[in-house]
Amino acid sequence: MKIVVCIKQVPGTNDAKIDPETKRIIREGIKAVMNPFDTYALEEAIRIKEKVGGEVIVLTMGPQRAELILREALSVGADRGVLLSDRAFGGSDTWATSYALSKAIEKIGSVDLVICGKQAIDGDTAQVGPGIAAHLGWLQATYVMAISDIGNGRLTTKRMHEDGWDRCTLVLPAVLTVVKDINQPRIPTLKGRLAAQNVEIPLWTAMDIGAELDKIGLNGSPTRVVKTNPPAGRSKTTLRIEGTPTECVRKLVHELRLRSFI
Amino acid sequence: MKQHIKNRIYHVEVLPPKQDTEKLDDDLAVFVTKFNRIMERGFCACITDNAMGNLAFQGTEMIEELNIQAKPDLVMIHLNTFHSKDNLDGILESCRKIGIRQLLVVTGDGSDRLPKLKPADIGAKGVESVSSVELLRYIIGRWPGEFELGVAFNPYEPEEHEFAKFERKLAAGATFVITQPVIERHPLVDKLHALHPEVPMIVEAWMSKKLDLLSEAVGYDIPQCAPYDPIANLKTLHRNYIDCGVYLSIIGFKTQFDLLKTTWETGAIS
Repeated sequence: MKIVVCIKQVPGTNDAKIDPETKRIIREGIKAVMNPFDTYALEEAIRIKEKVGGEVIVLTMGPQRAELILREALSVGADRGVLLSDRAFGGSDTWATSYALSKAIEKIGSVDLVICGKQAIDGDTAQVGPGIAAHLGWLQATYVMAISDIGNGRLTTKRMHEDGWDRCTLVLPAVLTVVKDINQPRIPTLKGRLAAQNVEIPLWTAMDIGAELDKIGLNGSPTRVVKTNPPAGRSKTTLRIEGTPTECVRKLVHELRLRSFI
Repeated sequence: MKQHIKNRIYHVEVLPPKQDTEKLDDDLAVFVTKFNRIMERGFCACITDNAMGNLAFQGTEMIEELNIQAKPDLVMIHLNTFHSKDNLDGILESCRKIGIRQLLVVTGDGSDRLPKLKPADIGAKGVESVSSVELLRYIIGRWPGEFELGVAFNPYEPEEHEFAKFERKLAAGATFVITQPVIERHPLVDKLHALHPEVPMIVEAWMSKKLDLLSEAVGYDIPQCAPYDPIANLKTLHRNYIDCGVYLSIIGFKTQFDLLKTTWETGAIS
């Protein structure tokens, strides 16, 4: 199975500032990391490859520096990475971004499955995965918490809802977005990191993927950001524990242990 | 561990590079330099395990992948409960392969990216989550006699709770103890040593001048005695805990490391 995982480099801090002119996050000088939700997408893709065979290709759009997260993905088991980078992509909203990614997926060719994290923690839109499916004309399942029955050109997903879950069988090719309940991502090893350092990562421009210039960048972005404000910092969180007294105590102890308070 | 103390071997903490470093080669080189200096001086290198919940490379993989000439008797690996079972077993197997016997077993700090051992993973029964006690039992049960297992003692925790926890750690098989950082002297560390003189004790010396960082690390306010002089404190610890070892955390390799040539001798006898 040929799987593409779309990943994004996001600020690894809660202190990101917004440019008052462009209304965009100022990314220069801030530590950047792989979008945490994308690590679950990547892990799931690698697990599928380990189960049924195939290839995992990681794809990201961003500046040259975004190559770092591709190497991180390679270090945990992705087979190759592709960086989409071009000034023409600058200012792309989720629609233009998903168009560019879909064109890259077409260029990769013979892709069976695309997996994305449910959303990026900087934009929080959850639109790029579904946007890719729309551009490609493929089936999609969002908020996937489990994947099973892979074979014969199909797979079954368990999709998370506010009040429960459903099961949904998709004919491939398809696009999935996954939630963090789906797995526990593996940690890169030093051996993997060292090996990934020297892998050649191709850089594709808008021309390389045959993107139409009026569909990328600001020209291809119907979204207009009128105003943006960073959320107020959260220094405290509240966890509501429900159940019988015994259950509550058990859950409380568990949560305290997880946080190393006891 | 008794030999380390008898031979005045410092335990020097060294942190492997973080996973999210953007200058991996540089950070690896710094680690190797620090590690080699510790080995050359005949001290014990104590390699942390995702300290403060920050993802970092493991000590064993650093030694193996970088072909570091480690003296196994002079290496201590920290091991906490935030691992998958496979990863935990892999680290312990690597320790055996390299010949590392000393482990500091702690519950540790987690993060969203780190898996937490589940009781069922290591056959622990009657507990909701895995602590250092269950981890000690697992290691001893799986590899009896292979490792010398130390545990932590935090004098800043409520006394009754911490002493009860320490007894459980001893019962689980701990054979030495390393305290949280001590400034000059701590009555609960004195009490522990008096209660268990048979258990080799290593007192942690905070080598940063920033005591607020220490307060953050232990989670309790440490009284600020300004200005704090780490080397003077180290010498005081030697005087106050004459039959104990010393664990050096956040030591400055550029400014402080070479001063260690004389601190134990002069501190202990002055």
